[in-house]
Amino acid sequence: MYRLRESLKRFLGRDIAGRDFAIYPDDTFIVSYPRSGNTWTRFLVANLLHPREDVTFATIEKQVPDSEAQSSMQLRRVPRPRFIKSHQYFHPRYRKVVYIVRDPRDVALSYYDFERKYRHIDDAYPLASYVSDFVAGRMISASWGTWRENVGSWIYTRGGSPGFLLLRYEDLLADTLKQTTRLAEFLGLTPTVSLMERAIERSSADQMRQLEKTQGDQWVSTKGKRTDIPFVREATSGAWKTKLAENLVAEIESAWGSLMSTLGYELVTRPEQSPREAPTARSGLGLQTSMPRSLAREQH
Amino acid sequence: MIRRLIAGTKRAFGLQRPGRNLAVFPDDTFLVSYPKSGNTWTRFLIANLVYPEKKPDFSNINELIPDPEALSKRHLASMPRPRVLKSHQYFDPRYRQIIYVVRDPRDVALSQYHFHRKRRVIDDRYPIEQFATRFIAGETSEYGSWAENVAGWLATRYRSEGFLLLRYEDMIADTPAELAKVAAFLHISADASRIAHAVAQSSAQKMRELESTQTDLWSSTKDTRPDVPFVRSARAGGWKSGLPEASVRELERAWSPLMKWLGYELASSPAQDAGSAQLQESLLGERIS
Repeated sequence: MYRLRESLKRFLGRDIAGRDFAIYPDDTFIVSYPRSGNTWTRFLVANLLHPREDVTFATIEKQVPDSEAQSSMQLRRVPRPRFIKSHQYFHPRYRKVVYIVRDPRDVALSYYDFERKYRHIDDAYPLASYVSDFVAGRMISASWGTWRENVGSWIYTRGGSPGFLLLRYEDLLADTLKQTTRLAEFLGLTPTVSLMERAIERSSADQMRQLEKTQGDQWVSTKGKRTDIPFVREATSGAWKTKLAENLVAEIESAWGSLMSTLGYELVTRPEQSPREAPTARSGLGLQTSMPRSLAREQH
Repeated sequence: MIRRLIAGTKRAFGLQRPGRNLAVFPDDTFLVSYPKSGNTWTRFLIANLVYPEKKPDFSNINELIPDPEALSKRHLASMPRPRVLKSHQYFDPRYRQIIYVVRDPRDVALSQYHFHRKRRVIDDRYPIEQFATRFIAGETSEYGSWAENVAGWLATRYRSEGFLLLRYEDMIADTPAELAKVAAFLHISADASRIAHAVAQSSAQKMRELESTQTDLWSSTKDTRPDVPFVRSARAGGWKSGLPEASVRELERAWSPLMKWLGYELASSPAQDAGSAQLQESLLGERIS
């Protein structure tokens, strides 16, 4: 019976798009692992694309629709070229990809709050157990792979190629204008500095917190979820330094240390044996523009 | 509309071939490779190793090492477990046990060119240089480009438990040694005679004999050109005479870091900027061979 209902849904195009919907060659995807700054980037993109429109939680699904929340039918109706949000690991048919990566130690903390907000776990669930689930990929949303799988599957296949822009959440925080300029360039837009500043202002954490307060029940990703835990959290980097116990930091670093240091996330525990690095498909990872020049040297 | 209705009805009854949408069980093992990389040979080696009494051939290989592109969802779900399945898929996080076979992409390009002729995707006059360009862009396969497929798996799973990497070239050079690795990975206690038997039963000559009599019994060769064989030269390095120099250069320019890491010696010397070369050096570190 379940199968019949799923088949019918699919036939009518009412199923959640996920990985399986019609992709066009002129689509651009805003991709990241969950809790890595995707919604912020989405707002920046929408504000850059539609400087004369309001961008709010009530409009964002039309401007930059979420393939993890919308049906394939709805996505078919979006005017082209489309800009689509996704959390998917590598997909060969995504030809143009903005990939946002964030320090997994911060992602773990943010994801823990998010899973509580969604009532997937309750407040009594220990953070330590959650971190183990996070590292092993034992989560409700496991279909996106682990952080390492998601990040690695994209940057080692597409890093350094022309249809791929890698943004670090931390760089986006540190110099929003500079990274927004890279983003606009990649999207083929030529906004003035004042237009970019306005887009940044309209996508600020304060602005998004305000919107969440008034529109939390209108947005597919926050509707019906706990209101005492915000979707837009601190919007900072490095909270793990004070909030994540050292053994949990060590657990993450020993699992993913080499990928983390490749991305410029300094390790503070010394993993006894970090797994060796995988080979890249192309030259470099597309990190050159955002990485400190010394990185390559540090790795020796 | 009609096509969608038929697909929908099939789906409701579990009659569709699931391909990537296969329902994965935690005890599944996958034999994965990019197409034309020795998957069928390895499939026969494993079938002969695990099920010697079934006398594997093209008529029963799908029952022994099933292909989710060839069998229905219902059929796959009812097979005895644990299953060993064949796959060409790019990275899928649900696959927990993986034997990944990789082959020199210059030979893969050449082999795929002939395979596409066999399947009448291209005709004999189609220029191989043009095919190579599309091959590099990932346009000749639904499984991503060669580099996307290989790097996607290595970046996520190399050196983690449940991942065995085999090079086609090593398998050609010393088949029993590589098959012994497979046996250990599958927790099969195989002595030298059992390994030798599986190797003999899966030889290129043996497979050519089977192909000549069973081509219509196997989904991958049925209704294809009989004058172009499925089991081709079964050797390494055919690209040196079969692939034009310009295509070799183009391919090496696109994928040199990954090829070098895998131990495939380059014939050209693709230019690289110093910064990324340094980064690569640290990434490439130790090589496989």
